[in-house]
Amino acid sequence: MNNRKKTALIIGGGVAGMEAAIKIGNAGYQVLIVEKEPQLGGALNKLYSSFPRWENPQDLVDDKVKKIEKCSAIKTMLNTVVTSAERKEKTFIVNLDSASVSEQVEVDAVVLATGFEMFDASVYGEYGYGAFENVYNSLEFEDQLKAMAGKDKSELPQVVAFFKCVGSRDRSKGFPYCSKICCMYTAKQAGVMKDLNPDAKCFVFYMDYRATGKEYEEFVRSVIEEKHVRYVRGRPAKVLPENGKLMIRAEDTLMGVPVEVAADMIVLASAIVPNAKTGELAEMFAAKTDQYGFIEYDSKNPVQAGERVFFAGACGFAVESLGAQHQGAAAAADVVALFNQD
Amino acid sequence: MHNTADFYHVLRIDQTSNSLREEIKEHCHTDIEMCLECGKCSGGCSNAHIFDITPRKIIQLIKIGEEAKLLKMDALWSCVACQLCVDRCPSSINIPKIMDYMREKAYKQCVPATRPNVELFHELMLGSIKQYGRVAEALMTVQFNIKSKQYTKDAEMGIKMFFKGKLNPLPSRIKNVQQVRRMFRNIPAQREG
Ligand SMILES: Cc1cc2nc3c(=O)[nH]c(=O)nc-3n(C[C@H](O)[C@H](O)[C@H](O)COP(=O)(O)OP(=O)(O)OC[C@H]3O[C@@H](n4cnc5c(N)ncnc54)[C@H](O)[C@@H]3O)c2cc1C
Ligand code: SF4
Ligand code: SF4
Ligand code: SF4
Repeated sequence: MNNRKKTALIIGGGVAGMEAAIKIGNAGYQVLIVEKEPQLGGALNKLYSSFPRWENPQDLVDDKVKKIEKCSAIKTMLNTVVTSAERKEKTFIVNLDSASVSEQVEVDAVVLATGFEMFDASVYGEYGYGAFENVYNSLEFEDQLKAMAGKDKSELPQVVAFFKCVGSRDRSKGFPYCSKICCMYTAKQAGVMKDLNPDAKCFVFYMDYRATGKEYEEFVRSVIEEKHVRYVRGRPAKVLPENGKLMIRAEDTLMGVPVEVAADMIVLASAIVPNAKTGELAEMFAAKTDQYGFIEYDSKNPVQAGERVFFAGACGFAVESLGAQHQGAAAAADVVALFNQD
Repeated sequence: MHNTADFYHVLRIDQTSNSLREEIKEHCHTDIEMCLECGKCSGGCSNAHIFDITPRKIIQLIKIGEEAKLLKMDALWSCVACQLCVDRCPSSINIPKIMDYMREKAYKQCVPATRPNVELFHELMLGSIKQYGRVAEALMTVQFNIKSKQYTKDAEMGIKMFFKGKLNPLPSRIKNVQQVRRMFRNIPAQREG
């Protein structure tokens, strides 16, 4: 055994990875965060507002970054990726690559926290994503919201339609699973749209709304009842450009009647899919993945994916920022327990 | 019972009106946006089996502002105001109150009721209350049967009830009928057309 201090490697500096880093670092072990982007924070950096408390997601990112900077045991490498790894008994020899340098490090445990990507909605020709203007996926729409925030009402869209379950709950072109968070962020986005432009009409096309967390049901109801977002039960069938608008056709399945909406903007709640690189990394560290490419959990140890390999956040499955933090903390607890026993 | 051709036209939901919803919020103190679309009202409605449009769908129609359809529907006249739906509704949506409001609206706008003699019954009943301060059942039944040309309807039962002391053939006036009449003056009956 050498005198090197025990080190945990965290791959991915989103909210899950940051939480794991903070807990392990504050417990007295060394942490190395490897983040491919030029900043920490992951998807939260892109969000305009967050459910279920209408908070600014940037505040959460800033809080974590501050804690990381304060903890001398945590080292962060931005613009960096893992290129290869080799297991050597109780350690891993890992090669890192950034624009400027290639580096080799030795670590004692790994936490995968590579997050998610959005399903490519262009497979649905009927929705026109990538073909028609003003059809966005929900992550892109967060950017739109940021851009709209300072503008005059007259410059904002007057009719916005949100399609849920795009690529989720679809065994033909997408995935059979439910992406879990889109019901909530769609309610949030429609609510924000109404706040920015109270004259706008917002329609949410839904099959169900799934609001299964603390304060979630109340959140969705408040969007319907207080912000007057109109929920229409049915999955839109097609979108066609018509006189500068996007004409949506669907069935209101509660009434059994065909309905149409002429929208200025359409937002597709695309399925949450694992980050493309997750599979490669999982293989490098001999972690299990499921049929979709998410990291597979062990029923008896839900944040463990292999020997000395843990995971947290959306690389395991769609999760909101609260759950991602829970998982980051749980992974940290496992790492600390392991290091204490070594 | 409704015309399917009329029912299946494409509805432009971005062009529907909210005014009925707002009216109902104001007059019936019921916010239909709170409806969870669960169908508990329809499932337990004591008369749903004869409703052309069941309670949950009525709420949906209000949402899309289909006032004309609501004023014409038969359910307006087959709801018996039993209160089961509102009692069971998880959002306390007061459907009988909405029915009352819509019935009144239909009457004022002279939208004919789908059931025969409904207006006649309504007028005789209010007339009886105005005159006697209460419903004079026997007199009103006779008046109703004559005016609706059902001369012998209820006669046999009426006689039986009289001999059992269940029916007073003479109308009795309440003590302070002036008070009731004042109420009527305060809310004058309005009817268009
Ligand atoms: C449209 C939308 C709206 C949302 N709104 C909300 C909301 O209002 N409230 C809420 O609680 N949640 C919301 N979420 C969910 C929230 O974004 C996630 O819970 C959160 O981002 C998950 O964090 P994470 O760390 O697991 O993943 P991510 O945020 O995806 O972070 C993963 C990080 O890993 C990095 N990474 C990936 N691959 C590698 C690699 N190979 N090497 C190095 N680094 C890598 C990425 O660059 C990224 O920084 C929303 C999600 C979407 C899509
Ligand atoms: S969370 Fe909601 S929108 Fe997303 S897949 Fe599930 S049901 Fe559909
Ligand atoms: S019971 Fe209440 S909440 Fe349910 S459908 Fe009827 S009115 Fe709506
Ligand atoms: S009040 Fe009317 S709508 Fe409600 S349960 Fe009774 S009959 Fe049905």
